[in-house]
Parts: sequence; C-alpha cells; structure tokens
Amino acid sequence: MFDNIISGFTSILAVGPILGIIAGVVIGITFGAIPGISAIMAIAIILPMTFYVDPIIGITMLLAVYKAGIYGGSISAILINTPGAAASFLTAQDGHALTKAGKAGKALDMSLFASVSGEMLATLVLILVAAPFSLISLQAGPIEKVFLLLFAFTVIGSMAGESIPRGLLSCCLGMLFAMVGMSSITGAARFTFGYTELMGGFTFTPMLIGILVMPEVFNVIRKRKIPHQEMMITHSPNPADNRISFKEFRSVFSTILKSSGIGTFIGALPGLGSSTAAFIAYGEAKRTSKKPKEYGKGSVEGIAAAESANNAVCGSSMIPMLTLSIPGDDVAALLMGAFLIHGLTPGPMIFFEHTETIYAIFAGFLITDLFLLGIARSGFKFFVKMASLRRYYIFPCVTVFAFTGAFTAGQNMDDILVLIAFTVMGYGMRLVGLNPAVFIIGFILTPFLEQNLDQAMSIVGTDYHLFFASPFSWVFIALSVFFVFSSMRMKQKSASAPLQGKAA
Amino acid sequence: MDRRKIDVVLSTFLIIVSVIIFTNDGLVEGGAESDLGSMFLPRLVAGLIIIFAATISIQSFRKLAKGTQPEGQEIITTNGFSGVFIYIGIFIAYWFTVPHVGFLVATPFIMIAVALLLGGRNWVPIIATSVITPVLIYYGSKEFLRVYLPTWTL
Repeated sequence: MFDNIISGFTSILAVGPILGIIAGVVIGITFGAIPGISAIMAIAIILPMTFYVDPIIGITMLLAVYKAGIYGGSISAILINTPGAAASFLTAQDGHALTKAGKAGKALDMSLFASVSGEMLATLVLILVAAPFSLISLQAGPIEKVFLLLFAFTVIGSMAGESIPRGLLSCCLGMLFAMVGMSSITGAARFTFGYTELMGGFTFTPMLIGILVMPEVFNVIRKRKIPHQEMMITHSPNPADNRISFKEFRSVFSTILKSSGIGTFIGALPGLGSSTAAFIAYGEAKRTSKKPKEYGKGSVEGIAAAESANNAVCGSSMIPMLTLSIPGDDVAALLMGAFLIHGLTPGPMIFFEHTETIYAIFAGFLITDLFLLGIARSGFKFFVKMASLRRYYIFPCVTVFAFTGAFTAGQNMDDILVLIAFTVMGYGMRLVGLNPAVFIIGFILTPFLEQNLDQAMSIVGTDYHLFFASPFSWVFIALSVFFVFSSMRMKQKSASAPLQGKAA
Repeated sequence: MDRRKIDVVLSTFLIIVSVIIFTNDGLVEGGAESDLGSMFLPRLVAGLIIIFAATISIQSFRKLAKGTQPEGQEIITTNGFSGVFIYIGIFIAYWFTVPHVGFLVATPFIMIAVALLLGGRNWVPIIATSVITPVLIYYGSKEFLRVYLPTWTL
C-alpha cells in the first residue's frame, strides 16, 4: 500500500496535475465565496472542461474545486452572513459576529485552518480505510450487491428527503429516467416512443447541470430585487484580532480533532451529509466547552467545530463511493459521474484496475489541502473582491458556461433541450419537496442494480429462497429497516420540536 | 400557493403514468430474452411510485379535507416567478438561435438579456463582458478541448 501511495505522489507531482490543482483551488474558492453559487454548481460547470484531459488531472482538479468550494462558502458566511450551503449556517453565526466586532481576519483564519485540518484527517482515513475495505466488499457477489444497492436506495431516500415518501419517490423517479433508452442487458428500446435520439438515454452532463445547478440560478433571479451586499474584511487596530495565533489554534486543536472525527464518521454514512456533521460537531463542542455561552456570538471554537466537521465530510464521503459504488451525497454522486465519464468505475475493483490513478488521486487530495492553505491565506483580498462582483456579471457567465458544458458533452443541440427540460424539472422538484440529489443518485445507481439483479436471477433460477441464503442479505435488510425507522423517529422528533417551542 | 393541491394533482399524474407502465407492453421494443426481462425493473419501480405517490397524495388530501391552513413548507411563495419565466424564455431563444446565427453572435445578446433581467445597467462593463466571455470560451473550447461550438449557418 505504501508503495502505491509513493507511486501516487510521483504521478501527481508533475506540471499538469499541479496546475489542475491550483486552477481547481482558485476556481473553487472564488465560486464558493460567491453567494448563490455552491461547490456542487462549481463542479458541475467545470466538469465538462475536464473530459479532454488525463483522469489524474481532471479528477484531482474537480476534487480541488470541491474542497476549495466548501471552504469558499465560509467566506461569504463570515463576511456578509450569507451561508452558501446549509452546512455553513453555524459558521455564519459565529463568524459574522466576529466580523461585526472587527475580527474578520481571525474568523477567516480559523475557518481556513479548521477546514484544512478536517479535510486532511478525513483524507488520511480515506487512504487508510478505502483499500482494505474494498477487499471485504470484493467478496460480495451479485445477490449481495442487489441488497447493498437496495439498502443504499432506502437509506439515501429516507434520510435525505423532506419526508420519507418524498425522498423515496425522488429516488424512484431517478431510477425510471435511468431506464429510458437501450437496455444494456437485453438491447431493448425502452420508453423511446420511436425517437432514435432517446436510444442512448438522457445525456448525463446536461441532465446533471439542469437538475442541480440551474435551479440555483432561478433562485438568484427570484431574489434579484434584494440589494447587493458588498463583502469587506473588517480590520481591528489590534493586530492580534486580525489573525489566529499558534496559542489560539492549539487551544481549539482538540475540538478540531473531535469534530473532524465526527465529520469523517458521518461523511462515510450515506445520506447524512455535511450539514448533519456540522450541527452534531457544533453541539458536541458546545456541550464540552468551557465557554458555551460564547457559541453563536462570535466563538472561535464554534467556527473550528463547524468548519472542521463540515470539511471532513469531503474526504470520507468518498469511502462508500470508492468501496461500494454508493455515492453518499449529491457531490459524491456528481463525482461518481465524473469518474464514470473518465472511464473509472467506482467500486472495489478500482483499486486493482486503476491502482496508479486512484493513489495519484489520493495524493492529489492531500496536496490540494496544502495548496488550499497557501492560496487562500495569501489571496483573501482577491477572493473577497471576486466574490463581491455583482450578480449581473456572474450569472450571465454561469448561463453561458451551463450552455457550453451541456453542449460539450455530446456536441449536440438536443442536449441543450435536455438541459432546459431538466432545469424546469429540477426546480419543480424543489418546489414540491422532492430531492434532486436523491434523483441523481437513483439515476446513477440503477444500471448497476439492473445488471446485478439480472446476474442474481441467473444464479438463483427459480429457487428464489436463495436470495435470502446469504447472511449479507439479512444484514442489509435489517440495516434498511433500521435506517427507515430511525429516520421516521428523527423526522417525528424534529416535527414535534417546533410545536413544543410554540407551546412554550 | 398551497403545495398540498399540487401534491394531489402531481401524485395522480404519477399514478396514471405508473399504471400505463404496468399495463402497456408497447413501451418496450425488441431486445433479447433474459431472466429478468426488459420491463421487470421499470414495472417494479412503477409499483413503488404508485405506493409513494399515493402516500403523499392521501396525506395532503386529508389535510385539505380537514380545511387546515397550509404551514411551513406547504406554502409555495411565488414572488419573483415572472423573472424565472423570462429566463426560461431567454434560454429557449438561445437554444433556438445558436444553430442559425452561431455561438459567437447569439451569446452576447443572451448575456446582455440575462444581465438586464438581473438589474444590470452599467452598460460598458456589461457589453464588454458579454463580448469577451464568448470569444474566450469559443477559442478556449476550440484550441484546448477540441470542441467546436456552433457557427453561423444562415
């Protein structure tokens, strides 16, 4: 394994991958810092540009955009109290309070150091856990994989949706759309209605940009009359307020370690995501803090807890994707699509079929953290200026990038129609409480389910009881039931909490 | 807007589509024999859609029948929707015009239209951005990605 890691570093320490990482970090921080543009939007827009480069360069660039984009979200959260993602909500509370007190530099520094520490820890766990875990998952045959995929659908659908039926319905709709076109098993044309253009199914990139990215543009357009907020780093006359000292960092280091651990664990579970990680880590840090009353009012420790947990999810969310072919959240689903486009099928075999590439990507993950630290630290002012650009400069460019990205995938104008149709559908799904990310996960995983189900049917023949002969089948059934019930309990609790609050 | 009414209509639509998938053999053409069959998984998914759509519909219908006021996520605010429709119109116009006038000609007009929609009135920088961006994308795609964006065909 260590030979592979060294070989990975050798591959990544070349001009192309390093330039890709630098570009990814700059794009990620800039896009992440712009209110209304999330990390996922940045990745989806950049994705088509990576089609034509080596997978090591393309994938590491996308991962750099992801990591830097998650960090970039904290800049707008701290400076103008506009969290780019739900996970940055807690950072905004404490960070913006510090900004108002003239300590924006301290908040930005803490956010950066905590983000990088959390990401590095999660990446180390990913590197050390993924390959050994893939050896175990290699033992799974088609029957076990069918139950594993059903478990993934159930967990993601029930945990990620607004309600369990809405989450599972989103997943089923994604599955149904995945079955349009020629069946990979029988060669039959399904749901094509005589249109040969539909034989290849829906092109992934325009659909992805339409479902996940463009509805965010709609949100910005709806809020176009809200005045523009200029970002500015506030400075205190006391230099100690404008940075984090080593002593301060050391005092919160245990919080960072604990929160990174929480983020890593939660990120490795499918369906929970970075918001859950940030809220749990923040709550735990507050519970064990010596100054719990400062939380929410400008606590440096609070920023450290939320940001390290939030960013630790980046690395660990890759564990289920790379070992079991299960993307844990929307970004992992998007990255899984990117891996597939680059000819790398995520799953246990990736460690044997593409050893050099996968370890180069791991090495790129670690190096990205160092570049993120250096580039963000030296370019705060530049990124703040870029993120302060008015929306009427940014979103026309986003529109053109979305158009070009959709066209680039197949060099076909029909893909633009797919983009428009799925944009409307993605926005409609959000309005009625369906989850577009779960839709995408259902879309991506269905071909794997169908392939494994077909193989499993060939194995069992008419002895259907053989489906339940493996202990793995029962384990996954039990886990699915457990997750559905725990999700129901969680949702009931969260529904009754506001009512209790009202009664009080 | 009351989302519960949309739930009922949308669920009914999804149930009808799922019933068609269940009953219509004409939705699949050709293909080899397999243990699973081409329509097994689509029909399984259609069955699940019926269950989940019916659950959502029944929950919403009960609340509507009780006459309770919508609350929280059940209310869809429609503020700013006109801008969304205009944006969709701009995008459709973009899709329609690019094959005829080409990417380099259509894009600046589309960018200016989106900037106007978002309240932009600083003409010089908006026009400059709208001209420079497509040129950079066009030649960047051509030289680095080997992607040839549509050109003038009129």
